[in-house]
Amino acid sequence: MSASPIQAQASQQQPQSQGQSPRDASAPNVEDLYLESYAFTTAAAIVGSVDRKIFVLLRDGRNIFGILRTFDQFANLVLQDTIERIYLDTDRDDQDTSEAEEKTPKRFGEAYRGIFMVRGENVVMLGELDIDREDDHLTELQQIPFEEAEKELKKVHANTIKNEKVKGKKLLAKGLINDFVKSDLY
Amino acid sequence: MLPLYLLTSAKTKQILIELKNGETLNGDLVNCDSWMNLTLKNVIQTSADGEKFVKLPEIYIRGNHIKYLRLPEEIMDYAKEQNILNMEQRNKFQKRRGGNNNYNNYNNNNNNNRRGGNRNGGNNYNNSGRRFNNNNSNNSNYNQNQNSNQNQNQGHNQQQPQQAQS
Repeated sequence: MSASPIQAQASQQQPQSQGQSPRDASAPNVEDLYLESYAFTTAAAIVGSVDRKIFVLLRDGRNIFGILRTFDQFANLVLQDTIERIYLDTDRDDQDTSEAEEKTPKRFGEAYRGIFMVRGENVVMLGELDIDREDDHLTELQQIPFEEAEKELKKVHANTIKNEKVKGKKLLAKGLINDFVKSDLY
Repeated sequence: MLPLYLLTSAKTKQILIELKNGETLNGDLVNCDSWMNLTLKNVIQTSADGEKFVKLPEIYIRGNHIKYLRLPEEIMDYAKEQNILNMEQRNKFQKRRGGNNNYNNYNNNNNNNRRGGNRNGGNNYNNSGRRFNNNNSNNSNYNQNQNSNQNQNQGHNQQQPQQAQS
């Protein structure tokens, strides 16, 4: 009974479907319609991603992939079957590496993290994944052990911190402030 | 189920916490509150560079320093079980309270008695309550009311098809 106004809305949007069956396959999902008509701008906007695979970027630069199970108004997230993945693209740390090293392909390392609960304030962004295509980009990358990737990433982070410090000093000399915090490495 | 609710059901379980400064704490969750402040027992604290380890018997963590937590795999199922148990407990409690209310009602006067009898679910509770009732006249009164209710119900059922026919 309560679904009838939504179905009416669906038939308005797609008048070409004759509406012979109450649930037309071409009609948009009832959930999607709900989100379309009530645009949430708060944490409630991710209600449509519950039980779907999502990607989360944390403020410390971590890439988290997992199935979103629950969340709350602070965007505290609970992910299941989580994987943490480190991407090492050569152009990010090329200021420090020699040209020979620069020719190595882009690499990644990943580690299983199980059930993962993120405190909302550390979330930079999150988005739903297309599970059919999520691994496509990995074919161009070379997988290395996670510990190795972690070490490399530490170097990259140390490098960016160093660069930002230099940048900050230069900007300060011109009377500008460089807005950089050590813990923000995304 | 909200994240913090899941966390409360992880009490006594071993969890891993990473703080914003990169330190990790590995220990048994003792308690938590709605600000995500935590108390842990039997903790191993690891420094941000992962080289120093400190063993602590107990620790308190202010929630706003937490970056993330890692919970044991079985926590989802465990939380669901707990939820069901809690619901059952609550239902039991409500039933018992409901029964007592009715018992009081039909001791007071007939009006209340009729109202209590009319509520369909209430009949059972009234029966359990009657055991404590020594007043016979009230008892018979209650039975009469119950009978009349049944009659009313039957009449109602008969009326419905008639309405449908007309």
